[in-house]
Amino acid sequence: MAAANGSSELYSEMEVDAFRRLFPLRYHEQHLLKSVRTDARKLGSARDTTLALGAVASADGSALAKIGSTTMLAAIKMEVMTPTVECPDEGSIAIEFHMPPICSPLVRPGRPAEAASVISKQLSDTILSSGMIDLKELCLVGGKAAWMAYLDIYCLDADGSLFDAALLSAVAAFSHLNIPVVSLNEDGRIVLVSEDNVQLKLEKQPVNTEKRKLKLKSPPFSLTCLLHKNYILADPTAEEESIMETVVTVVLDSSYQLVSLYKPGGPVLAHTSVIQDCVALARRRMKELHSVLNEAISDMEVD
Amino acid sequence: MASKTGSTPATYSPSPATHKKKRIPIADVDWVRPDSRGFYQCRPAYLRTGAVSPAAGSAYAEFGNTKVIVSVFGPRESKKAMMYSDTGRLNCDVSYTTFATPNRGQGSDKKELSSMLHKALEGAIILESFPKTCVDVFALVLESGGSDLPVVISCASLALADAGILLYDLVASVSVSCVGKNLVIDPVSEEESYNDGSLMITCMPSRNQVTQLIVDGEWSTPKIHDAMELCLGACSKLGEVMRSCLKDVVTDLKE
Repeated sequence: MAAANGSSELYSEMEVDAFRRLFPLRYHEQHLLKSVRTDARKLGSARDTTLALGAVASADGSALAKIGSTTMLAAIKMEVMTPTVECPDEGSIAIEFHMPPICSPLVRPGRPAEAASVISKQLSDTILSSGMIDLKELCLVGGKAAWMAYLDIYCLDADGSLFDAALLSAVAAFSHLNIPVVSLNEDGRIVLVSEDNVQLKLEKQPVNTEKRKLKLKSPPFSLTCLLHKNYILADPTAEEESIMETVVTVVLDSSYQLVSLYKPGGPVLAHTSVIQDCVALARRRMKELHSVLNEAISDMEVD
Repeated sequence: MASKTGSTPATYSPSPATHKKKRIPIADVDWVRPDSRGFYQCRPAYLRTGAVSPAAGSAYAEFGNTKVIVSVFGPRESKKAMMYSDTGRLNCDVSYTTFATPNRGQGSDKKELSSMLHKALEGAIILESFPKTCVDVFALVLESGGSDLPVVISCASLALADAGILLYDLVASVSVSCVGKNLVIDPVSEEESYNDGSLMITCMPSRNQVTQLIVDGEWSTPKIHDAMELCLGACSKLGEVMRSCLKDVVTDLKE
């Protein structure tokens, strides 16, 4: 490789960078032959993941998730709605994923990125079908008022594995969510009950007695893998995703059940053995992410 | 969308049951600042560059509750529809997250901030240094705690410096509000909603030149003079804080 040249260090540095720009696929394949990736990771290992709960003070629940450089900020705001006639005792969740122009040079203001709507729909489907949240817990007054949880996820830095980071931040934001205490007004509107009023206002019974947390059953976690020839690369960076196009996303919940498997085309056709390997990698990753989430929750409770 | 009928139901945010006694400023009584600062005291600033990895330059600024991220991309190719120009172009965009304001979605009213940011920065950038290309400055306000535009402008100039774009000088910006009979510097959202007038200055501290001045509301001439003096003094202090932030990055690299 160019780095092995005997010439001066600066010259070989420039050669390596130029080679990386001009022949990116060969540059990555040279690394894969030695079972390593360009950032010295093993093929099946993911980048360092950190999670911080309560990043946004003005929202009812929020979380900041970082996988390597990919950064996602999720925040939940609760508003009141009238439930539908078909399900009078269920609330609702609205999930939206935004890619603002700061996150990547490919996103232009005024034109939402294509990836944003794809990931938005994927997230929505995954979270609702995983059964993590029981919509009946979002009910306030049967048939009259229920919570609508607006979950907005903003990508602050797009460096590959956007879906994984977004799902992690969404799950973390739900586990941080504190539902405010409210009561029903004479006009039939829901109003907030502030802490000093709880003893005084006896005629307006609060609809929920204390700031509740949602019960999350088996939160889902995901792992995105890249398929290239015979290699499976877990947790790709943006550079790797732009060169090798076949992506497989596996979503597992904490009881090791498969929630979703997503392989949107791509030049590499996957055998079932490859898919099983991806699922095995996802199981390992699920344990890591679950412990990261539990650590973040216990850190919050200590405060 | 999660709603079963297929259309978005109308929602409202539950408002507090009893109206908190709104402290409306009375003409003769001194205003008390909600975060107990002095009238001429700015919020402590937390600035950091290099927040976003794919950008040429980026900065994160936190002034009390106002949190802003700015990324700079470029110099890069202009859109093809634009004609040839032998000076560079500057393109600015400011957007709010949906949770930045206490009521969801209020940030979409603030579209004029993009052109105000453009006017504040274009005087400081040496546009001749990147002809035919364009520099994009994108700002995202994560949380709006008052005095948003000045924070965005200061953060943007830090991001431009981080990207290596040639500037005549760093640009620092501070605003002053006239609440009742007091002048308060660096107002929070509550003070901004009660003010009788506001004044914002964007200047280049070392050159002692003003790139943008915006005055709103009722002002008497002596008050404007006082407000301008206050702002210019605060701008030069903010300029020093920004410079030390940039120097810290270099000293960290050297170590």
